[in-house]
Order: sequence, then C-alpha cells, then structure tokens
Amino acid sequence: MSPPPNGLKEEGDRSGRRPSSKQAPKAEGPAGRRGAQPGQKEWRRGSPRPRSPRRKPTEFRSRREELRRQERSLAARTGEARRKRDGRASLKKQRANSKKDKEVLGKEETWKQLKKPRSSSLASNTSGGESLSEEELAQILEQVEEKKKLIATMRNKPWPMAKKLTELREAQAFVEKYEGALGKGKGKRLYAYRMLMAKKWVKFKRDFDNFKTQCIPWEMKIKDIESHFGSSVASYFIFLRWMYGVNLVLFGLIFGLVIIPEILMGVPYGSIPRKTVPRAEEEKAMDFSVLWDFEGYIKYSALFYGYYNNQRTIGWLRYRLPMAYFMVGVSVFGYSLMIVIRSMASNTQGSTSEGESDNFTFSFKMFTSWDYLIGNSETADNKYASITTSFKESIVDEQESNKEENIHLTRFLRVLANFLIICCLCGSGYLIYFVVKRSQEFSKMQNVSWYERNEVRRIVMSLLGMFCPPLFETIAALENYHPRIGLKWQLGRIFALFLGNLYTFLLALMDDVHLKLSKEATIKNITHWTLFNYYNSSGWNESVPRPPLHPADVPRGSCWETAVGIEFMRLTVSDMLVTYITILLGDFVRACFVRFMNYCWCWDLEAGFPSYAEFDISGNVLGLIFNQGMIWMGSFYAPGLVGINVLRLLTSMYFQCWAVMSSNVPHERVFKASRSNNFYMGLLLLVLFLSLLPVAYTIMSLPPSFDCGPFSGKNRMYDVLHETIENDFPTFLGKIFAFLANPGLIIPAILLMFLAIYYLNSVSKSLSRANAQLRKKIQALREVEKSHKSVKNRAADRDSEDTSKSSSKTATPLQITHAEPTSHSASQSQALEKKARDTGASSPASGTLLPASQHLPGSQPPEVTPDSGKPQSQTHPWKSASRKSTQRPPH
Amino acid sequence: MGARASHAAAVPGAERIRRETGFSQACLLRLHHRFQALDRNNKGYLSRVDLQQIGALAVNPLGDRIIDSFFPDGNHQLDFPGFVRVLAHFRPVDEEDPGVRDPKQPEPLNSRMNKLRFAFQLYDLDRDGKISRNEMLQVLRLMVGVQVTEEQLESIADRTVQEADEDGDGAVSFLEFTKSLEKMNIEQKMSIRILK
Repeated sequence: MSPPPNGLKEEGDRSGRRPSSKQAPKAEGPAGRRGAQPGQKEWRRGSPRPRSPRRKPTEFRSRREELRRQERSLAARTGEARRKRDGRASLKKQRANSKKDKEVLGKEETWKQLKKPRSSSLASNTSGGESLSEEELAQILEQVEEKKKLIATMRNKPWPMAKKLTELREAQAFVEKYEGALGKGKGKRLYAYRMLMAKKWVKFKRDFDNFKTQCIPWEMKIKDIESHFGSSVASYFIFLRWMYGVNLVLFGLIFGLVIIPEILMGVPYGSIPRKTVPRAEEEKAMDFSVLWDFEGYIKYSALFYGYYNNQRTIGWLRYRLPMAYFMVGVSVFGYSLMIVIRSMASNTQGSTSEGESDNFTFSFKMFTSWDYLIGNSETADNKYASITTSFKESIVDEQESNKEENIHLTRFLRVLANFLIICCLCGSGYLIYFVVKRSQEFSKMQNVSWYERNEVRRIVMSLLGMFCPPLFETIAALENYHPRIGLKWQLGRIFALFLGNLYTFLLALMDDVHLKLSKEATIKNITHWTLFNYYNSSGWNESVPRPPLHPADVPRGSCWETAVGIEFMRLTVSDMLVTYITILLGDFVRACFVRFMNYCWCWDLEAGFPSYAEFDISGNVLGLIFNQGMIWMGSFYAPGLVGINVLRLLTSMYFQCWAVMSSNVPHERVFKASRSNNFYMGLLLLVLFLSLLPVAYTIMSLPPSFDCGPFSGKNRMYDVLHETIENDFPTFLGKIFAFLANPGLIIPAILLMFLAIYYLNSVSKSLSRANAQLRKKIQALREVEKSHKSVKNRAADRDSEDTSKSSSKTATPLQITHAEPTSHSASQSQALEKKARDTGASSPASGTLLPASQHLPGSQPPEVTPDSGKPQSQTHPWKSASRKSTQRPPH
Repeated sequence: MGARASHAAAVPGAERIRRETGFSQACLLRLHHRFQALDRNNKGYLSRVDLQQIGALAVNPLGDRIIDSFFPDGNHQLDFPGFVRVLAHFRPVDEEDPGVRDPKQPEPLNSRMNKLRFAFQLYDLDRDGKISRNEMLQVLRLMVGVQVTEEQLESIADRTVQEADEDGDGAVSFLEFTKSLEKMNIEQKMSIRILK
C-alpha cells in the first residue's frame, strides 16, 4: 500500500473527525497491530497482551517503521519522490509522537487502508476482463491486514527467533507483493502489470513445453505406429530413435574434433605418401566399382585412419591431432558406456514407482481411454486403433495370468525346448568353427584376397541367420510363455547366434591383421631401400638437389588399420542394403502380392498361407544392436563410419516407419512392451563391452603401422599419451601420473572399488526388500480399508436414500464423501455437515481447522469462498501463506 | 473500458453464474460468445441440433452421450446458465488445499466428485445410477468399433464388471465407479485449461 500522502498531523486531525462508518468494525481488527488495544476480539482466545515496559515499544516501533519503509518501496519505485519525502518526514514526526498519538494514527491508517481498496475495487469492477474483482480485492485486503497484524504482533509470540524471522520475512514479502493491488494509480497499475506478466510467463512456459514436445523427432510417427501395432513394436522405434540420438553425439564428437580439424588444418591431399593414391591404383581410383568397395580415393581420405599424419601439432592453432584422435576414440566408448548405463538406471527408477495400478486395468481402460478433446478425425481414428490395441494387450495379459496349466507338462516342454535350442546353437557354433578353420586353411594354400576367402563363411553365416530365428520361434511355441517373455528369450537366443557371427568375423579380421603385421617389416625395408636408392642413384646432376620422390611412387605398407576400417565400413553398408532389400521384398512385395493377387487366387491369401508379414521385433532390435557394435568397433579406425551410420539410422527410421504402416499387420497377440526396455539396453551394453575388447586389444598390444595414421612411428598407440604428458605438462604432473600408474596404487584402488560395489549392492538390495514390504503393507491396508468402507457405504447409502429422495443434489456429496477415503473426505464431510445443519454458525470441527473464520468474524464475508477467486494460480500462494499464519495457535 | 463493461453486462445473470461456477469474468464472456455462436437462430437457447453441428463432436464416439449430458432432465432447451454449469465441470481445480474451503459453500462444480459424476453419467445411459453390463457393451462398441470380436468385447465388459463390482449386483454403481478410478488423476484429466 502506498504511504499516506498527507502529513500525519493532518491525519490525526481528521481521525478525530472520523465518523463511525460502516468500516468501523473492520478497522478495529487491523488496529490490533498497534498492540495497544487490549480486550479486542482478536485476543479473546489468546492470553492478554502483557504490558511491556516503555523501552520495548519504542524499540519495537522503530523496527516496525523500518518494515513499513520497506513496504513503501513499492510506492517509491513509482517515482513519486515528493510523496515519499513527505512520508519520510511524517515518519520522523511520528517517531517523535507519543504513544497515544500512535494509537490514533494506527486507527486512521488502517481506516485509510480500508477505504482505498474500496474505491479501487469499485473502479476495477467496471474494468472487468483481466483485472481483479471486488471479492478478490476484499480478500486480498483482508489477507494483507492479517499479515500486517502479524508483523505488528510478532514480538509477542512465544516463538523461537528463527521462526519469527522467517514468518516476518514471509509476511513482509506478502504485504509488499499485494499491497499494490489495493493501491490506487501507479501502484495498482504496477500490480496489474505484474499480474499480466505472470500470466504471460505461464502462457509462455506452456507454449514452450508444447514446442519442446513438438521438437521430439518422429513423435507423431511413433505414436501412430503404437496406436496400430501396440507398444511392443513402438518400443523398437523408440529404441531406434534413442540410438540415433547417441550416434548424433558420437558423430559430433568425431567430426568436430578429428575430421574437421584435419581437413581444415592438416597437410593437404597429395602432399605425402599416406595421403596420396599409389601409382598402381591411380587409374581405377575413380571407378564406381572401386569406390563402392571403399578403395581408391575414398580409402585415402579423412574417412579412414591411414590418412592422418603423425605431426604432433597441426595448423596455426597448434592442434594436437594425434592426441585428439586418441582421446576421441576413448571418449566415444566412455560416452556410450555412460549413456547406456544412465538410461538403464533411469529406466529402473521409473519402473519401481508403477505396478500398483493393475487393480482396475479394465475399468481404467473402459472409462478413461477416450480423449474427449480430440477434434480431428485422423487423430480420432488413431485413438480408435490405440484403444483397440490396448484392449487386446490387456486381454493377452489377462489370459496369461488366468491360464490354468499343467505345470509338469509345461516344465517338461520348456526343458525340451531349451535342449533343442541349445543343440541348434551348438550345431551352428560347430559349423561356424569348421568353416572358419577351413577358410584359414584355404587362405594358406591359395593366394586369394581376404574378401574371397570369407565368401564361404559369409554364406554360411547368412544362411544360419536366415533359418535359425524361425526355427527358434517354432521351438519357442512349445514353451508357452507370455509373448513378452517369449520375446526376451527369442532375443537372447538369436543374440547367442549372432555372437558366433561376430566371433568369426573378428577372428578372420585378426588373422588378417597379423598377416599384414608380419609383412610390414619387409615392406619397411623396401621403402627405405627405394628412397635410399632414389636419392643416391647415379646419373643425376649432383649439384642440383634431386626433387623429392613423388608421393604416389613411394612404396608403402598395407596399413592394417585402414583395412580394418574399410572392412567395418563395407559390413555396415552391406548390412544396411540387406536390411532394406529384405524389407522391400519380404514385406512390401509380399504385401502387394497378397493384396492384389487375392482377387484371382484359389484360396484366401490374406487369411491363408502367405498372409501379411508381422513386424519382426527381435530381428530388428538385434540387427540394430549388432550394427551399433560394428560402429563402436570400427569408429576408431574409420572416423567416417559414424557419419554413415547416422545416415543409415535416419533413412531406416523413415523407411521402416513407412514399411510397417504400409505392409505389416499387427501381431496376432498384441502384447504390451515392458515399460523399461532395459532388456534391449542390457544387450546393447553387452555388445558395447564385447566391441570394446578388440579395440582395446589392438590399441594396447599391436604396434601401429609405420607409415600411416596419427600414431605411426610409435611403438604403441597409447604412447601418444606419454608423449603429451612428458612434453606438454609440467614435470610434477608427469610425476603424479607416473605415481598414479603405479600398480601398488591401482590394485588397492580396484579393491576399494569392489568393496564399494559390494556395499552399494547390498544396500540397494535391502532397500528394495524394504520397499517391497512397504508396498505389500499398503496393498493390504487398502484391501482392509475397501472392505471396511464398502460395508459402511452400504449402510450409509440406505440411510441417505431416504433423506435424499426429495432432492437428488444433496445426495451427491453424501455418497461422495463416504466413497472418498483420501484426505478430501475431511473437508467434504465438513461441507456435508454444514449442509445438513444449514446453519451459518461455524461448527466446532471447522473452527479448529479454520481459525481464521473465528479470528476475524467481521472481515470474512460469507459469500466469498476461497475458491471462487478468479485467477486461480495467483490466489493460491497467499492463501496458503495466510493459512499457515492463521492456523497457528493463538497465544 | 466502457465497451467491455457493456459486454459484461450483456451476459444475463453473470454474477450469479459466476458465484455458482467459479468462472472468471473474462471466461464467462468468452463462453457467452461461444454460446451465441452456437445458437444459430438467436433463440436464446441451444437445442440438440445446435450441438450436433460441432465438428469435433461428430468424430467422438461418445458424442451423443456428451450432448445428452447437456440436457440433464430430458429438456430440449439449453440456456446459458445450464451451458456454463455443464462446462464448469471442466474448470481446472485450484492447486490449493481443499481444507481451506469455506465449509458453508456447496461443493464446487469442478470438484473431483462432480467431475467423476459427470463422467459416470456418460456411461449411465438409462440414468438409473448404475452402469450395467449392457451399457458398457454399448459404449465399448462405440469405442473400439468392429476390430474386436463380439465375444472379446463381452469378456472385456465382464472383466470390468468383475473388477469394479463389489456388491455383486452385476453392475457398476457410482461408488464403485469412483473407487475403481481412485488412482486416476481425474482433477487433471478432466480439466480444460482454457476454462480457467
């Protein structure tokens, strides 16, 4: 509230003239803040205020004046300097005033406080729209007065100092905030402006949230699929999207820190041998068939390891490229591990909270599934589909839980199925082993290219991959699992099969690497010899230094790192193509055939044999996971691989979305995916670990090629770390690192980590056990409560039926209150009591809960209910605050 | 200001309606505009046909039920107070603790119970205070269409009754209805934020 604009003397005079108007009873209430009017209504219940010694009130007064000055800051901000000065002056005068004067003043001031809002509220009533209504103003006024009273009487409350302080601050903040609403002119406008801004801010936040939701890529597509195919199929696409996000980050890391610096600042193409296509390959280097195999110009580009130079620093930035290359390679794995584990952890956190709501699955679906705000027919169609799907999902769940089965038979069948599948896996494992061995022998006998050597192996592997999963699926039908669990088993089994694929691939690759490494020494000799001969050969004019040998002519090693990178690159691309072609042929062409040939066929194609394809969740998920494993393994040797993978994921997102919607049918038994797809994540983590091993092995124990790559010339790749620590860090840091690398320190550290893991594990186990017990307890309590209530309710219903027949409206709250076991019931039963008695006097129950109504009997108009306030979000903070203050026991 | 005031005055009985429903003045004004827009012949009331013209209701499987809920006592005319009263069910609930509400006041229309009651009436076709298995089947048919077989629908309805029915009369009463939706965040779900 703005300060009294006039001199206080004047006011004092006027106060004498003040008629005992209608506001008088109201004015008396707030006047209590002066603390000088004993025996007022407000103090009826509390102990009478003790007469404090003379010294204390003055002290108190000065403090209060300070408070008031703070309150005035609002008016001060409006720039009414003159008025403020007046106020200050009057304050000084007031301080000099006697206590008696003060009392009179107090009355006067409060009267003014009351008067002002009155007029302003009248004004606001006509303004309508956004501004405040009269009732609200009255309410705010009342609250402000309460607060002021609280500030005034704070000193006498028997509270601890800290509490007093916090209360005081709260009250001050409140008064400052809302006094503006009651003031005239600028104060009010400022308040309205603030309110407007608050509303705008809320709206902005909401819009921003909407915007954020819209920014989630493919959300609509995935929802569309989910509504038609169920959450299990959607879980694959969500996984795909997540994977895309991870790959984007990896892509940014590698491109930003390795490839772009190399392109911008590195030695240009053609300047040194490792960046030049050799003379022998030059002719065909631009042919498409060569490029398609990632040979030729692509092989000698920044996409592959071999292109990078071993200069310690490049460009004017003195960017340490080899170091950056190494660190990026490490951080790709670090980031992936972190993100996988983090998402697993967050998934488990989310899954613990739910699980209680399965009591009323069907009721929930039946009564609440339709979204009544849908106004778009397409959305409505989707909603239809999703409701249907969700019903089907729950039907499957229900059937599973109600299934009565012969336990022994099921167990026998499950053991049998597992036995058969293990046989299959062993057989295929042996087959792989056999083929690999044979191909190794072949390679020793004949001098064929690595690619050709592996043709046989590849054919065997792809045949296994084609025939084993359906076989597993048929065997899994014996087990009679819930489809959700069945999917997990299927995933696990195919995973084991694919591991064989991975294993053979890596084994063959390792053989190749070792072969190349063994040849490297001789090639190194040849290179030296050629260069030596070139510079020292006779027949050249000795006086002119010979121009350096053209980089294309320098003989060079095979650069096994690039070869490995190319291999992964090829594998990724061929994998992608195979996936797409499979989808195109297996799903789309089949769907077209079934759809259009059905008109002229002897049996029903749609219902009969070929039918439409179902979406193969397990195959797709595993394909994605293994592909990601390839990326992790290959990205160290082929920095461009992640870029290719990003493209692949992007296209497969659109392509598969289209394929699913156009040519697949929902599963026969649509089932609900488990909320947390931690199973996928677990497989991914396993693959990540498996792909970390070979990379770590090559980095740690194989010497890098002597003439290509950022680590050439070093004994091991990680030597770049030693080099950097020795050359670029101060010596004491180097010592610290050496000390840290001491096994005497590392082993205790590892032990400590194990201990910590053990401890945390046991703690989490005990906590989860306690959690489960608590949940059980809650469940049991609810059961008891329910049965109890239902008995009571029936009795209450019978009672109420008689009374409520006359007016059905009163029956509503009656039934309601009994049905509501939560905290609502307290207030509602009060409301009920009120209604039943139909008296204006407050009942004892409400009196205890709402002391405010008794404290200020005159100031709370009965028609103003707390929730009839217009701007809901604005009213609640002060409401709760005021409640805090009023619920305190008066002393 | 004057124009707005005249607008506000144009809403008949605004003060009373506001007190009953808790709508803000601006909101009431907006609703009145909407009411007038729906009322095509300036009859001063709405008929079923007026509501059926709304496009969003046409795609809603329960559209007819919603329209029915606007005409509670078999009336065929919906005046503005009635219109607002129905919409008041969807006013967002204030965040405040219900404990502070004045006990003298009747429960506001947007309370949890009244929201639930509104929802219940959508399913209770014959208004006998119970959702029978047949009523459920009818609504189900509306909601999932032909994609689910009849026996599956029946099993769903059976299952729902079995879940929610406590007194064993084969139908879901309002009490049982509220109990089954106990955990549902009705206050939030049955709120339209523009009706602040």
